[in-house]
Amino acid sequence: MGGTTTTDSKFKWSKLTSYTPYFFIAPFMTLLIIFNFYPFIFGAKISLTDAQFINPGEFIGFKNFIEVLFADDKFIVSVIHSFQYAIGALVTQIPVAFVLAYVLNNISKRFRGVLRASFFVPCLINGVVIALVFRNLFGKEFGIINWFLGLLHLPNQTNWLGESSLSIVIMIAVSFWQWTGFHMVYFLANLQSIDPAIYEVAKLDGASPLRVLWQITVPLMRPAFTFVMVTSAIGALQLFDLPLMLFPNGTYGPGYAARTLVPYIYDFAFRQDFRVGFASAAGWLVFCIIMVISVLQLRFLGMGNADE
Amino acid sequence: MNQDPLLNMEQDLEYNNSLSKKLQRFVGYLVLIIGALICAAPLLWLIDSAFRPQIEIFQVPPVIMKGVSSFATYSLASFDRAINEFNVLTALSNSIIVVVLAIGLTVIVCSLCAFAFAYMNFPGKNFFFMTILATMMLPGVTMLVPYYQVIRTMGLTNNLAGLIIPYAASAFGVFMLRQYFIKLPHSLIEAAKIDGAGWVKIWWGIILPLSKPALAALAIIQFRLIWNDFLNPILILKDEALFTLPIRLQAMDSTNINVPYDAIMATGLITALIPITFFLLFQRQFIEGLTGGVKG
Repeated sequence: MGGTTTTDSKFKWSKLTSYTPYFFIAPFMTLLIIFNFYPFIFGAKISLTDAQFINPGEFIGFKNFIEVLFADDKFIVSVIHSFQYAIGALVTQIPVAFVLAYVLNNISKRFRGVLRASFFVPCLINGVVIALVFRNLFGKEFGIINWFLGLLHLPNQTNWLGESSLSIVIMIAVSFWQWTGFHMVYFLANLQSIDPAIYEVAKLDGASPLRVLWQITVPLMRPAFTFVMVTSAIGALQLFDLPLMLFPNGTYGPGYAARTLVPYIYDFAFRQDFRVGFASAAGWLVFCIIMVISVLQLRFLGMGNADE
Repeated sequence: MNQDPLLNMEQDLEYNNSLSKKLQRFVGYLVLIIGALICAAPLLWLIDSAFRPQIEIFQVPPVIMKGVSSFATYSLASFDRAINEFNVLTALSNSIIVVVLAIGLTVIVCSLCAFAFAYMNFPGKNFFFMTILATMMLPGVTMLVPYYQVIRTMGLTNNLAGLIIPYAASAFGVFMLRQYFIKLPHSLIEAAKIDGAGWVKIWWGIILPLSKPALAALAIIQFRLIWNDFLNPILILKDEALFTLPIRLQAMDSTNINVPYDAIMATGLITALIPITFFLLFQRQFIEGLTGGVKG
């Protein structure tokens, strides 16, 4: 082929090669722009209008943002719910996941595999299935949890799903069951990547096991801590399936006690008034909240290790 | 040797140490086993409930506590009801179609892009790569309203393609594959170039076959995310014939006055068992695929 080509077609060919990289990245970049970037710009645009359902609406400035924040306290209440849930989830899951990983790392390999698998399985199950199962387990009269508490002679008449003060607590409990094993797997992988020679040296120097844990293991686990904390905070603030499905009739718990941020947006855009502009404004506010938290976490935990 | 008093003391110490170590180990195992039981219990309840008539699901103490005789009432009636009354097989096939096509598309689109970032130089390379990395941090769910509008404008609502195509835009996939590609020996590509192979041929014929572990890891990550996704299908699918399993479950839960919990548990079991089976078959790949980054 090469021998027969004229200089002219050779020139074209080389021009084509210079564009080749763009042909390779084009399919992905197109999808990324349409489905990941454009919605942000478009969302900013419609958040400044009174768009409703398919009616594009008219420009109304920042009225939607003001209404979201100040017209009633529904948005602020769902911010509070989301924060209560996210903090509760992080505080319970991360230390337990770390301890489980630490203990699991120090036992024989034969049991490690089986135990790791059984801790990991909950995170493979669809959130809707988990919510429906736990709704029944948390039943007042016929729920296994109350029955089991009765066996232990503990108070067993709690109306778990009907008590607004318990709604967030129950979601924290269910998500503890769902995600602790998932986080544990990251800690375990990080623990196993630590060079055993470091421990040998510490042992020779006579360092106590607790000191080894605090001054060697924990600092070396920073990649896993950063990754787990950032991703699980983002995940917790984007919660959707538990509030919608855990409580009967899709009501987000008694008196909307479990309505977190994403359900709030979903409600105004798709279930109640189809107020697209209003819900987009709320979406932008939630976006800003999540970004501020992520950036703060990364700054606090060290940016260098965050990109995995 | 044993005459040395100092050594004797050390041996004593070691003995004490091993005793407390044994106790430690025992407590450790106890905690782990209790934890594993707590993890397994709701799943066991789901399995048990799926085979029981509705009336037995809500009995306390659980019917199964009666022992072997309680299995007499086991039947496939709830699966029958799920399939015949609620079209669960259609939902199952929709879920499978979505997950298989989306994984295929993700692997092709992401590996093409990662290939360019790993082996080619071009103006704007860093800019594009940083842009892709930045999207990994963006909480896309907050933009669900404009996202839905985009899908609607493209005529992809109420269409399985409206789920499949956006799933392929996995920034993490590009990042992960690029990390794998740059570790492959460059000499292979140089040799192929000298033999006159084009870029497409190098990508398809050399790089992809060599990257099977990374592609499998990406497929596993996507499988877990897509199979368990709830928000996208609930936004996009309106027509019952297109429902995937989680939306089918949500519809079963909300349309009836008497919620058909027997059929829900049967459907829930089907939904849960598919990823669990995959996990048990490919456990090592699953864990390594998820944690690849943290180890490095």
